[in-house]
Amino acid sequence: MQQLRNTPFHERTSALCMPQNWRKWAGYYVVGSYEHTIDREYWAIRNAAALIDVTPLMKYIIKGRDAARLLDRVTTRNIQKMSVGQVYYTGWCDDEGKLIDDGTVARLDETTFRLTAAEPNLRWLMMNAVGLDVQLEDQTDSVASLSLQGPNSRSVLKRVCESDVDGLKYFRLMQNRLAGVEVTISRTGYTGDLGYEIWMDAKDALKVWDGLMEAGHDYGILPVGILALDMARVEAGLFMLDVDYTSASHAWIESQKSSPFELGLDWTVALDKAGYFVGRKALEREKREGSAWKMVGIEIDWVGMEQIYAEVGLPPQVPGSAIRASMPIMVGNVQVGYASTASWSPLLKKYIALAHLQKPYYELGTDVRMEITVEHHRKHAPAKVVKLPFYEPEWKKR
Amino acid sequence: MNIYDTIIIGAGHNGLVAAAYLAKQGKKVLVLERRDIVGGQVVTESFGDGFTVDSLHAGGTLRPDIIKDLNLASFGLVVDSVRKPFISLQPDSNHLVLDANPAKAVESIKRFSEKDAANWIPFLNFMDKVTRFIHAANETIMPRLPKGFNFSEGVDLAKMGINLRMMGGADMMKIIRGIPMTADEFVDEWFESDVVKAAIASLGIHGFTLGVFGAGTGYTLMHNWANRGGLSNVSAQGGVGKITEALASAVKSFSGEIRTGAEVKRILVDTFTCKGVVLTNGEEISAKNIISAADPKHTFLNLVGAVNLPPELVWNVQSIKMRGSVAKVHLLVDNIDAVVAGATHASPLPATFVIAPSIKYLEQAYDAAKYHSISEKPYLEVTTSGNVVSVHFQFAAYKLKDGDWKTEGAKVEKVAIETLAEYFPNLKSSIVNTKTITPLDMEQTYGLTEGDLNHGQIMLDQFMFMRPIPGWSNHKTPIDNLYLCGSGVHGGGGISGASGWNVVKVLK
Repeated sequence: MQQLRNTPFHERTSALCMPQNWRKWAGYYVVGSYEHTIDREYWAIRNAAALIDVTPLMKYIIKGRDAARLLDRVTTRNIQKMSVGQVYYTGWCDDEGKLIDDGTVARLDETTFRLTAAEPNLRWLMMNAVGLDVQLEDQTDSVASLSLQGPNSRSVLKRVCESDVDGLKYFRLMQNRLAGVEVTISRTGYTGDLGYEIWMDAKDALKVWDGLMEAGHDYGILPVGILALDMARVEAGLFMLDVDYTSASHAWIESQKSSPFELGLDWTVALDKAGYFVGRKALEREKREGSAWKMVGIEIDWVGMEQIYAEVGLPPQVPGSAIRASMPIMVGNVQVGYASTASWSPLLKKYIALAHLQKPYYELGTDVRMEITVEHHRKHAPAKVVKLPFYEPEWKKR
Repeated sequence: MNIYDTIIIGAGHNGLVAAAYLAKQGKKVLVLERRDIVGGQVVTESFGDGFTVDSLHAGGTLRPDIIKDLNLASFGLVVDSVRKPFISLQPDSNHLVLDANPAKAVESIKRFSEKDAANWIPFLNFMDKVTRFIHAANETIMPRLPKGFNFSEGVDLAKMGINLRMMGGADMMKIIRGIPMTADEFVDEWFESDVVKAAIASLGIHGFTLGVFGAGTGYTLMHNWANRGGLSNVSAQGGVGKITEALASAVKSFSGEIRTGAEVKRILVDTFTCKGVVLTNGEEISAKNIISAADPKHTFLNLVGAVNLPPELVWNVQSIKMRGSVAKVHLLVDNIDAVVAGATHASPLPATFVIAPSIKYLEQAYDAAKYHSISEKPYLEVTTSGNVVSVHFQFAAYKLKDGDWKTEGAKVEKVAIETLAEYFPNLKSSIVNTKTITPLDMEQTYGLTEGDLNHGQIMLDQFMFMRPIPGWSNHKTPIDNLYLCGSGVHGGGGISGASGWNVVKVLK
């Protein structure tokens, strides 16, 4: 069995991780939470600045004359339209139009791209690169990455970067120097807030960490683990591989697979681009015929929760962190779908969930009920289908 | 602009069969052939004065139903009425002569085993049933498993099943059991003499990169037997080239066009359809449908281009085992009668000779292919035509561990001559000219990827509904109007024309 590895930030993160709450992420140990409760970390994301070690993201460099062509073939976006310095969010499918993984593509120069992924995709990229003039490099280990998220993140960066980050627009990237080392900064993240991701050579990891923590001191910066991040990403309506969908590459049965349309990624499927891309035929068909499922947001009705809990003499109970479990969703006595992640939103003061509903129940405003367990008994709390994201601050893209 | 109904890439026998059927239906067809002559593998060529040879296949014939449908007799095709005796040469000159006349063969077998002699006619009867089954299988369009299996394909498959069942329970089981067996095991159930067993088992590896101890050579033995209609070939009078010449004449008589010296560089693809082809000289030609008789690897990876195809398909195509290991050595001699004297065992010329003295000899010959070299003691099948001795040489691996085919052709030639000289002592002094065709020549001159005559080996994982690749066994491709019809599709492998015939049924 392979030993889980430590990220290049381990010397710092391990010293700060008080509860020894470690989580496995893509072959690495990462911090679940730095404190015994995750409230402060959550609020750092929403009100101040949060520093998150996201090194385990798979990182691939795709280089060469046909690099754009390869990504155009693999992903659903129109990569030919991308300008240098731009970042796209995208999914990629098998030829049946079912999602394999999702991540970001960054155009570093005319013929060089970086693709991030949740799971290893090197073989898939190689299989798709047959006959193309490209070189592939897995930089997952050699490049460290930090996510700096929250409304104060720009102010923190301005303090520690050599070049000003004011001009850096949403989903763009720049080269910069931070604490004396070369970094790439992209205005991206997984919180739905103002935020950046910083990419550096693994050997410079600690310098960048220290530089950011020092610069962020006056802005309330906190190291943040992935449990708080999980709550924030649900508020932002962002799904997660293996939690909210199963990759087509390791689903056991057809019904476990999801298409990009079913996950609400319609806007990423560029059916207007030229030529074949993987999954095109199936995606064209689904676009024409409509999707059987759709991922939506649901808000659980607080008054309804109160009534259910009142039956046993308790006030409503909400989870302290996001729950990654499948919870049936009903209309009448018929199950019409399931929630895959539910979370209490401290900011919105609402119990929310990402839910997968069958046609026609995924229409906005549909009244549904979600299963909750109250004192060992299954109950159904009233809920409503709402628009995603649940939370989007006006400074996210500003 | 001139738009054709169908462009057919490659004027081999399968391409021409498809073209002839389509042209006969009134379709406007164009056959594009990269060489200056038609025929593909089924050609008779001249390599000098009096040195005219069947370059790759010394004999063979199309399915009788195709010959009849296309009335190829009216285009000059005359199929030999006699099957040549099949003579397994022995070091002690006690040769085994398996004459087409069963009574004569029995007499010869008796010298090796009374029991085997008694089994010969029952074996021939069984192989007749095998032949019927394989012909039925070869005219069945294979279903696309595991996906895409539909009712109409099920009907075809059921017909094939009925054919098999009609043979009676015991023989049906024998055929099914025979498929995954080794050629050695297959013959071992009938015969005890090593000489008899080896002579028959050699057919199981003929043209394939397999040894007689390899699983699935039971099937390839049946496959070759069915295509030949017996141990040795019948052929066309005047050489195998007459088969494709007759086909070409048939195509033209139905107003089909054939252009030689016209090499297709790419198939022009627009997402899920192809518009036409572009030739190496830059000329573009449009068509509603394209049928490629080229091998699947060349068709998909070079002509269509991997970038236009689903990654799983590309991976499957890359995984097709080609692995050619056949070389041909043609020898022009000054006196054929003097050469074969003493070796024919009273059997008149022409004959098919094999150097396959024992089962172990065959397996050891195959070792060379496994280790990427040239057999020192090869399995040979030798035919004569006039003053030409044609040697089918196995094994000569396409991918050589040492040396390369620019120079190693001389070694094949030397080994072939030395091996034959042991049986034909007058051979060496009689040779006046030679022509050796290496696996690399087969690739470069005849357009066979890795020199594989079969467009992909016939193995258990590459036959029937897994040919050319799983999921695309019905001549269709992910490009809606692009079809395959070469030897690499089910029905192909050897000369029969089934693949070219079947694609026409799919196009309808």
